[in-house]
Amino acid sequence: MATDAKIMPVNPMEHDKYIPETFAVLGKRGVRRIDGQRKASGKAVYARDINLSGMLHTRFLTSPYPNARIKKMDTEKAEALPGVRCVLRYDDPEIEGKRAASTHGVEEEILSRNAYFEGQQLGVAIAADTEDIANEALALVRVEWEQRPFVLDPVEAVEPDAPPARLEWLGPSNKLPFFFGAGEAFRVGDVEKGLHEADRVIEFRTRRRYNGCADAEPLSGVVKWEGECAELWVHHQHPWEHKWVVHQWYPDVPMSKIKINSPYNGGMFGGWNWIDYSMIPTCVAAIMAKRTGKPVKWVFNRRDDFTFGAMDAMQTEYKVGMKLDGTITAVKVRTVFENMAIQAAGHLFENTRIPNIHSETLLVQVNKGPTHALRCEQLPPSSCLTHVFNHVAAELGLDATEVALKNDGCEGRGLDYLAEFKRDHGFPVRDSLRECIEAGKKAIDWDNKKHAPGAGKLPNGRMHGLSFTWTHEWDDTRGAACAGLMLQPDGTASIVGIRADVGVNAETTYCEVVAEEMGMRPEDVFFRNQDDAYLPLMTPDGSCNLTTNGYLMQKLGRMAKQKLLEMVTTSFNVIEYDVPAAFPGYTPDDLDVKDSVIFVKADPSVRKTVAEVALDVQGAVMRNKNDYAGIQYTAHPPVFVWAWHRQGRFGIEEGRHRLCRQAHFCEVEVDTETGEVEVKRVVNVNDVGKALSPEGVEGQQYGGTFMGIGRNRCEEYIWDEKTGVLLNGNLCDYKFATMNDIGSVDTVIVETGMGYGPYGSVGVGEVVATVTTYLLEGAIYNAIGKWVDDSPVTPDKVLAALGKA
Amino acid sequence: MRRQDSKKSPGFVCPYCSAGFDAYEAVREHLLAKHSGQPIPEPPGTVSITVNGQAYKQQVQPEWTLYYLLHDKLGFTGAKQMCDRGACGSCTVIMDGRSILSCMTLAIECDGKRIETVEGVAAQDHPLIEEYVKNHCMQCGYCTPGFVVTAKGLLDRNIDPTEEEIREELAGNLCRCGTYPQHPKAVLEAARKLRARSEK
Repeated sequence: MATDAKIMPVNPMEHDKYIPETFAVLGKRGVRRIDGQRKASGKAVYARDINLSGMLHTRFLTSPYPNARIKKMDTEKAEALPGVRCVLRYDDPEIEGKRAASTHGVEEEILSRNAYFEGQQLGVAIAADTEDIANEALALVRVEWEQRPFVLDPVEAVEPDAPPARLEWLGPSNKLPFFFGAGEAFRVGDVEKGLHEADRVIEFRTRRRYNGCADAEPLSGVVKWEGECAELWVHHQHPWEHKWVVHQWYPDVPMSKIKINSPYNGGMFGGWNWIDYSMIPTCVAAIMAKRTGKPVKWVFNRRDDFTFGAMDAMQTEYKVGMKLDGTITAVKVRTVFENMAIQAAGHLFENTRIPNIHSETLLVQVNKGPTHALRCEQLPPSSCLTHVFNHVAAELGLDATEVALKNDGCEGRGLDYLAEFKRDHGFPVRDSLRECIEAGKKAIDWDNKKHAPGAGKLPNGRMHGLSFTWTHEWDDTRGAACAGLMLQPDGTASIVGIRADVGVNAETTYCEVVAEEMGMRPEDVFFRNQDDAYLPLMTPDGSCNLTTNGYLMQKLGRMAKQKLLEMVTTSFNVIEYDVPAAFPGYTPDDLDVKDSVIFVKADPSVRKTVAEVALDVQGAVMRNKNDYAGIQYTAHPPVFVWAWHRQGRFGIEEGRHRLCRQAHFCEVEVDTETGEVEVKRVVNVNDVGKALSPEGVEGQQYGGTFMGIGRNRCEEYIWDEKTGVLLNGNLCDYKFATMNDIGSVDTVIVETGMGYGPYGSVGVGEVVATVTTYLLEGAIYNAIGKWVDDSPVTPDKVLAALGKA
Repeated sequence: MRRQDSKKSPGFVCPYCSAGFDAYEAVREHLLAKHSGQPIPEPPGTVSITVNGQAYKQQVQPEWTLYYLLHDKLGFTGAKQMCDRGACGSCTVIMDGRSILSCMTLAIECDGKRIETVEGVAAQDHPLIEEYVKNHCMQCGYCTPGFVVTAKGLLDRNIDPTEEEIREELAGNLCRCGTYPQHPKAVLEAARKLRARSEK
C-alpha cells in the first residue's frame, strides 16, 4: 500500500489557470532571435573578450598533487619578474584563512594552502601585464609541498584504513554531509514486504564514471575600481551573485556602488555557479585591482576549467521486485557517490506508483574535484529510473513502453489519483505519458522495429538495438525574478534586468511574452542586459528560467499595457499649456493594442500606433512648442513598470506533483567485432505544457541529445592511479559529441498545458540532456543481449560484455 | 643592434642585411657605405597582414599565436578560444583562401598573408549570417563564428556542397550546446542563395 500522498496546501505554488485559446505571438515559429545576428557575426561580446586599457592578467597556481598542503612558498623570483604587478599569497594578511562569500555557502578559503585534488587553484595568484608573464612568474614560484596519501575510488575511500581525502574539512572520515536532496536514507512503504510479494526479484549493479562540463568558454572575469565604485564583468549563470560576493568582502563598499556587467555566456550548464572556484577569482581580482589601481582580468585555461564534474559519478546496487505483468512492487537501491550528489530514487518516487522504495545513499569524498549540479542534478534519479525499468522489461520480456505505462503514477499512487489532482487544481486532465509514448513510437516506428535482445542482426552484419526511457518533466518552476519595462519615446519597449540567459534564447521569448501581453510586435520589444540596477532575473537553474521569468514578463506586459492605455486616454498639463489625450473621450477599457497599434475596440478605424502616441506624449511637446531644452523627455511620467514574481520555493514542494511526462527513444547499431556503437537515431518527445518558443524547445531537444548521448558514449575524466593526476583535461583527450556522432534527432513537442509555469508550460532545458544520457545501455542490451551498465559505454566495455576483451 | 645571446657571434649586426661586425665603428661604416638612403628597417618581428581587406602592421613576439594577435591585439574578437590546441574550430579564420586554426598558427609566420575573420564574412553580407540566424544555429553562440568561417571556407571552394560534404567539413567544430543539426540546413540554404546571386 502506498503512503498517503501529501495534498498540496492552499495554492502556495501558483500556476496559470487563465491560458488564452489563441496567441498572437507565443508558440509561433519564425520569430527572429534577438541575439542571432550578433552571435553569427562575431559581434556578441563574452567575458573572455573584455580588454580594458591597462588591464592586468591574473593566473592561479594549481596543485600538482591530489592531496597536499603547502608547507612553504617562495615567490621572490616571481615578484621580481618584469611585468609582474601583484602577487597575492595564501598567507597575505588580507586573505589568510578567509573565504569567499557566496549565496550558496562557502567552502574554500580565498587561496587555500590545502589541495584535495590535482589541478586545484590555490596558494598564490599573480597579476601581470600579460597572461604569458603571469604564467612565467607562476613557474618561478617555489613551493615546498607536504604530499599526502590520496584516494580516488569511493569504495576504497570508506574502508577503515583509507587516507583522509580532505583532512582539514572533514577530519579523518571521508563521508560527506548532505547538501541537498532527500538525505542519506529514503524510505517509502515496506521494501521487504514488496520484495516478498513479487513474482520475480532481480539484482544488478551499475556504474557511472566521473564526467564534466567542458563548456565552450573557459571561465574568466574582470574587476575594475573607479574610486570607491567597483565594476565587474562576469561569465556566470548567477551574475548578480558576484555583487554580493564583492560587497561581503568589502563591507564598506555598498552594493549600490558595485556594477555587474553580464556579457554573453559561452555555455554554462550549472555546476560552476555552485562552487566557490567561480567566486574566489572574483574576490582575488577585486583585491588585486584595488591594490594595483588597474583593471584585473582573471582567466582559467582549458585545463583549469576541468576543475569540477557532474554529480552522477556513482556506483549503484539494485534489488527490484516485480509482478509478471510488469508491475514493480519494490525497489531497493544503494548508491555510493563520488563527492556531492543527491539521492538516486527521487524519480521512482515522484513519477511512479511503485509502493515500496528504499534508497540508501553514501556521499564519499575522494581526491577529485568537486561534483555539482551539471545539466543536471537529476542525473542520478534519471539513471536510477532508467536502469530499473530497463532491467524489469528485459527480465519479463515485456515492451519497455508498456512497463512504463503500467507503473506511471505519483508517489505510490496511480493515474486515478493524478487525474483527480489535476481536476482539483485546474489543470487539463490528460495522460501525458501515453501521449508521449504514442507519438514517440510512431516517430521511431517502434512496433515494427522492436525485437528480442540480440535478435536484430542487420544485413551489414551489425546488431540493431532499440531503447526507450521516460520520466517526468522538469517542473522546477521556482525562485524569484524582478525586472522593469520602459517604453521608449519611439514606441519600442525595453525590458530592464540582469541577464540570466546562458544561450537557450530565453531573452527572445521574454520579448515574445511581453509582446503577447502588451499587444506589441515582437520586434518592438527588446531585452538588453541592464547591469547596474539590481534587477536579477531567475537563472536557468532547474529549467526555471522561462517558467519563472515568463510569469514576470507576463506581468510586465499586462501592467505596461494598462499604463499605456491610461496614458493615451489622459490629458495633462505642462505648466503653460495642456496636452490633449491621444484618444480623447475614451477610457482604457475602450481600447486595445495589437501589432503595436492602439485602437478603439468599437471602431478599429480609430487607431494610432504606439510609436505615434509615445512620440506625441513624450516627445511632441517640445517638438511642437520648441521647448526642448526646458522639458526634454520629462513632459509626462514615462511608461515604466516593474514587477516581481515569486514561484514556489524549490519547485518540488510536497504535494506539488509533476504532471507532464517525457519519452525518449534511441536506435543503435553495434559492431560486435569492434564494440563500436553507432547511434542512428534519437527521438525525443517532450510534454512541455506549452511551447512558448517551438524553436527554442527544439534547440534544447536536439542540443540536449548531443550532450546526453555524447557523454555516455565517451565522456570520462581519467586519472593516473599512481599519481592522482588528471590525464585528459583537454578537449583533444576528453571527447564530447561532434556533428557526426548521432545520425538524426527527431524532436516531437507535446503540449498538454499541465505545467505550473506561465501558459501551462514546464522547462525543457535540462531534461533531455539528463535523461538521454542513459538511453544507450538499453539499446546496447537490445542489440547484443548483454548489459553494459558501466558508462560511458565505450567499445572496450561492449567487447568485454561479448566476452571478446 | 648589439647581440646579447652569444659570445661567439659578432657583437653588431647590420639591420638591413644581417652582416656581422665586431665593432660599432665597423657596422657604422658598413651602414653608411651600403645602405645609406634606404628606409629605416622594420623592427624584428614585424608582420604585415591584411585582415578583412584592411592592412595592419604589427610587431609580434615569436610565441604569439595568430588568434592572440587578432583577438587581443587587433580586436577581432569573433575568433574564440575554446580548446586552445586545435581541437574545436572556434578560432577558425581563412588565410589566403584556406580555413586554418588561428590558435595553432604563429603570428610571426603570417607576414604578407590575407586573413578573413567572421567580422569580414558578416561585412560582405554573406548569406551564411542570415541563414545561421534563421536556423537557430547558435545557443550560447561562443562557437558560432568558428562554424560560420569554416562554412564560408567551404562555400568559397564549393558553391554547391552536398549535406554530407557540409557535415564532413564542420565535423571538426565543437558545439557543447549541440546545435549541430541546424548547421547543414543553414549552409545548404546559404549555398542556394549564393548560386542564385551568381546566376544574376
